[in-house]
Amino acid sequence: MTAAVSLITLLIILGSSIAVAAGMGLTGVLLNQFYSSMPMTRILGELTWSTTSNFILTAIPFYIMFGEILLRSGIAERMYSSLMQWLSWLPGGLMHSNVGACALFGSVSGSSVATAATIGVVAMGEIDKHKYNEPLFLGTLAAGGTLGILIPPSINMIIYGVMTDTSVPKLYLAGFLPGFILTVLFSLTVLIACIWKPHWGGNKIETSWEERIRTLPDLLPPLVLLAIVIGSIFYGVATATEAAAVGIVGALAITAWRGRLSLVMLRDVCEATVRTTAMVVAILIGAFFLNVIIQTIGLTQQLSRLITMYQLSPVQVLMAVIALYLVLGTFMEELSMMISTIPITTPLMVQAGYDSVWYGILIVLLIQTAMISPPFGINLFVIQGIRGRGKLTDVEKGSAPFVIALLIMIAMICIWPEIVMWAPRMFG
Amino acid sequence: MQRLQAMAAGISRVGAIVGGALLLIASIVICIDITLRYTISKTLGGADELSGYALAIASAWGLSAAVLTRSHIRIDTVYVRVRSRVRAALDMLSLAALIFFFSLVTYYAWGVFKQSWTSDSHSLSEIQMPLILPQGLWVAGLAFFVVVCVLLLARGLTAFLAGDLDGLFALIGSKSAVAEAQEEVINVEKAFAQEREEKEREEREQERKP
Repeated sequence: MTAAVSLITLLIILGSSIAVAAGMGLTGVLLNQFYSSMPMTRILGELTWSTTSNFILTAIPFYIMFGEILLRSGIAERMYSSLMQWLSWLPGGLMHSNVGACALFGSVSGSSVATAATIGVVAMGEIDKHKYNEPLFLGTLAAGGTLGILIPPSINMIIYGVMTDTSVPKLYLAGFLPGFILTVLFSLTVLIACIWKPHWGGNKIETSWEERIRTLPDLLPPLVLLAIVIGSIFYGVATATEAAAVGIVGALAITAWRGRLSLVMLRDVCEATVRTTAMVVAILIGAFFLNVIIQTIGLTQQLSRLITMYQLSPVQVLMAVIALYLVLGTFMEELSMMISTIPITTPLMVQAGYDSVWYGILIVLLIQTAMISPPFGINLFVIQGIRGRGKLTDVEKGSAPFVIALLIMIAMICIWPEIVMWAPRMFG
Repeated sequence: MQRLQAMAAGISRVGAIVGGALLLIASIVICIDITLRYTISKTLGGADELSGYALAIASAWGLSAAVLTRSHIRIDTVYVRVRSRVRAALDMLSLAALIFFFSLVTYYAWGVFKQSWTSDSHSLSEIQMPLILPQGLWVAGLAFFVVVCVLLLARGLTAFLAGDLDGLFALIGSKSAVAEAQEEVINVEKAFAQEREEKEREEREQERKP
């Protein structure tokens, strides 16, 4: 009963377009009034202070800042031209470079929107130049962009890790192999589509080994940053949070080397970082408070009792959770969807016997799917925004094959959990 | 009232930039700390603690910058499907909810600050930071956010009563995800404009050479 009332309250409040941060806080206050004799609002001050001055959470602004600097460093365009030399011989041409560039940029960026926007802006001019099938080309960018949160670093993994008490370095380790497989799956999707309909693949692009070798150094900056950030975590030199700080300094060095460092640029970086950070932190404050209330009124226990009562098997619980996210993902904003649901779903999944690291990767894959599922998919909007012509349906249509690729990936990690778990087990 | 809002916007922008600068400095201090730790096995001590304070202060001051640019996330599935008068009402409701919840947060945050003040608390670390310093800046940022929200609500209400719904949406309306995406794109394009220019210049120069 409590569970039903709580969920309905939350749905009504969030559904009435109240700012998500305030909506979750408000739900917490209301539930506390109804179901608990303890006035838990009193903890709000201490909770907010301890949450926002938590060193682990500084990873969030650090990775956001890292991305903002990279964006202004001018590495993306050169990286893309180089990948164009290396990957465009495949059937589907530049669309493979799109996927590859997204994966590479995703390995230094922790955000899917930033990845899609950056590579999207660089690549968009090529559609007309080489006569690609427009929807499919747009689809590679929208879907490729989602790799930003699966391939570490990842802002979503940090938020998940903090909220569910899961090790962020382990989540990072776990993300690599699925990230690699998914990149290959996306490329395969393009390959199959272009073997089936060869004219979708556009004109052949002239490349030469000489050019390939010449542009090779342009791939270095992202690879070096990747090596520094991820390497320092895995060799134990730095924690996941410290590594983000190292990334910032590295990105600044590259920006300076490219002659891009200026006070105006730094000011823009600071302003953009703080605005995005505050927005995320506001939601986290609301969510942490709601989380405490949920625990005090025993909501999770109620739900698990329900599961025992109906004798749901772990597989059934898993299916229910996946179905829930696929439905929510079609209309809910992705970040709020994740933050408002994981405090409830994670304990359930862990109780059903699933590892919280594995579940974290599953959540990330489900969020990626949500990002390119209409009607609400943030990456669809980003790509349509860059394109600035035609209809959104083109992007939706072009992304559909990649939704299937994502579903295959989700099925794969459900059938073979080792894809996710071997790395954290080996190195963790 | 417009002047007040412009002033608030100015203050929150400075707050955001200073907050960002604190984070940037924190990241540099962390790097120095790591380097020292691995070369001469010494640490500056307190680098992580300081970046925690930077986050608390930056995010408290960033809240107002976010509400002024209408960046706080709202779920607009229903919102986009109702008449504009209802939408305006929802906008004011959202702001009222922000004021309600963050007044509570600020009120109890003030309690935390006062506690540190009266007991003269210092952090339990080498640097023994007097907690009233970061907590004072933090509470001030939260309180400023509430003030800005009240100001926006007052302006929104005035616009609503005057029948100026478009004016209200421009102030406090929910930014559609599409508009949000558009902004991100403009940001990226702005960042790339310079690169393009440079490249073109290089190409022109190369053409001239032979």
